Amino acid sequence: MPAEALVLTAVGARGPKSLPAKAGRMVSQALNRTDDSLLIREAQRGDRAAFEELVRQYDRAVLRLALHLTGSEQDAQDIYQEAFLKAYRNLGSFRFECSFYTWIYRIVTNLCLDHIRKRQVRKEDAPVVTTSEGEEYSLIDQVSDDRAHANPEHDLMRRELGTKISVALGKLTPRERMVFELKHYQGLKLRTIGEMLNTTEETAKNTLFRATQKLRASLAPMRQS
Amino acid sequence: MNCDWIKENAALYVYEELPDDQRHEFEQHVERCLECKREVAGVRDFKMTMSAVSMPEPSPNLLAASRMKLQEALETANQSQGWSRFAFDLAGWLQQVRLSPALTVALLVFGFAAGTMATYSYLNGRILGGPGNNPAAPTAEAGIASIRGIVQEPNSNKVQIKYDQLVPAQKEGSLDDPAIQQLLLFAARSNTNSGVRMDAVNQLVQKPEDSKVREALIYALRYDKNVGVRLKALEALRPYVKDDVRVRDAMLEALMGDPNPGVRAQALGVVKNVRQDASVRAVLMQLADKDSNVFIKSESKRLLAQTPEMD
Repeated sequence: MPAEALVLTAVGARGPKSLPAKAGRMVSQALNRTDDSLLIREAQRGDRAAFEELVRQYDRAVLRLALHLTGSEQDAQDIYQEAFLKAYRNLGSFRFECSFYTWIYRIVTNLCLDHIRKRQVRKEDAPVVTTSEGEEYSLIDQVSDDRAHANPEHDLMRRELGTKISVALGKLTPRERMVFELKHYQGLKLRTIGEMLNTTEETAKNTLFRATQKLRASLAPMRQS
Repeated sequence: MNCDWIKENAALYVYEELPDDQRHEFEQHVERCLECKREVAGVRDFKMTMSAVSMPEPSPNLLAASRMKLQEALETANQSQGWSRFAFDLAGWLQQVRLSPALTVALLVFGFAAGTMATYSYLNGRILGGPGNNPAAPTAEAGIASIRGIVQEPNSNKVQIKYDQLVPAQKEGSLDDPAIQQLLLFAARSNTNSGVRMDAVNQLVQKPEDSKVREALIYALRYDKNVGVRLKALEALRPYVKDDVRVRDAMLEALMGDPNPGVRAQALGVVKNVRQDASVRAVLMQLADKDSNVFIKSESKRLLAQTPEMD
């Protein structure tokens, strides 16, 4: 059996482990590029199993990003689906000029930006998540916090803070929201963010500056009280 | 570097995006300017506020449902073919040929050579052809290991089958022999028998300074299903955690996500030597905050308490 084929069948034998938010950057840096290249080349030759392995390496991060930015499980799932289908259809045009990670994130961020823009046209804020069953709840309220159970007052304050942060994030432009999300929550470098958004590092820096200024202004009354 | 510049770059400083030289100047200015110090403290405070409420992870159910839905969609999805992306522009091509005599000559030479070779191989096939020498009978040579794919060409009776052959072979040589190393690397990654993987890793740990070997060990630590193999790889990688960021990342990944508590405890023992590193600190903070394993949680807390703040 060709060595390459065997390597492919073994890649991701246990699959990527689910890691909490702050480890995102670390994990992305640590992903094995060699395996990626092999998988991409196999997938380009039409091997769907190889493509599915690639999907499994990145799909949790993709779904997480889409969930944060859309605030809806249904929308996040739609973006996830559209992004990976787009990647599959256009994999032949992937020329290894950037990492697969950057490439798939570029697709996802574009889809998310479109989604946010459409939502802003409809003037909807997204401090709540709509589940596939149609149930609504505050996105940040759902984060488990062991400390909160021991202290109802803290729990209430945390929920209040969560709502205010969601509202403040909703006031940013789609691009500012995206740069802030990728920097603060996903821990990416501005250079990478620039690559993903097809812009320069300098522009990403300026966008981050504007985003932080706006968010600080929105949250200032609460932090003073 | 004036106060306006500091204010414009305070966020970049706090998010660790300033180049080293600017960072140094920035810190010197902030040290002696009370107003700028306040500004930096304000941005830090903001960052902490934004981090005080962590964002949710997608639920396992959502992830599983998304994967299933995607898999269904992939059944019917087609990849765009290479040739269709470069739709053949006959007029443009003719124009180019007309303007490029050298290319025309090259094409003629190529056409002549291809024609000659095709005739030769056709005649050769006719002379050597026959049931006994049919190259399309691979099973006569060796057993079929697996069929990888069957594709029927549209509007024809031709079928393309991709398959793997199994040919038993043996190789002897020293650990320095590149062929032996290649086989060991292959065995460490791909063999279905965990005993063989363990034997391969046992050999490879003797050469962890080799980049490819180190990659294979990192792979074993990350993905091998066998705890013994992962522990063996972890031990072999221990000396490189300081200097090799890939090793450090793999250790942190094992520390956070390995299903075996023993592997996690060993990984913690390794990363404690590099606990000043920002990514290690971030992981330790997370584990100290909410890890379900009592030992990992308390040990992370203890290590953090022993580590001075870098900012």
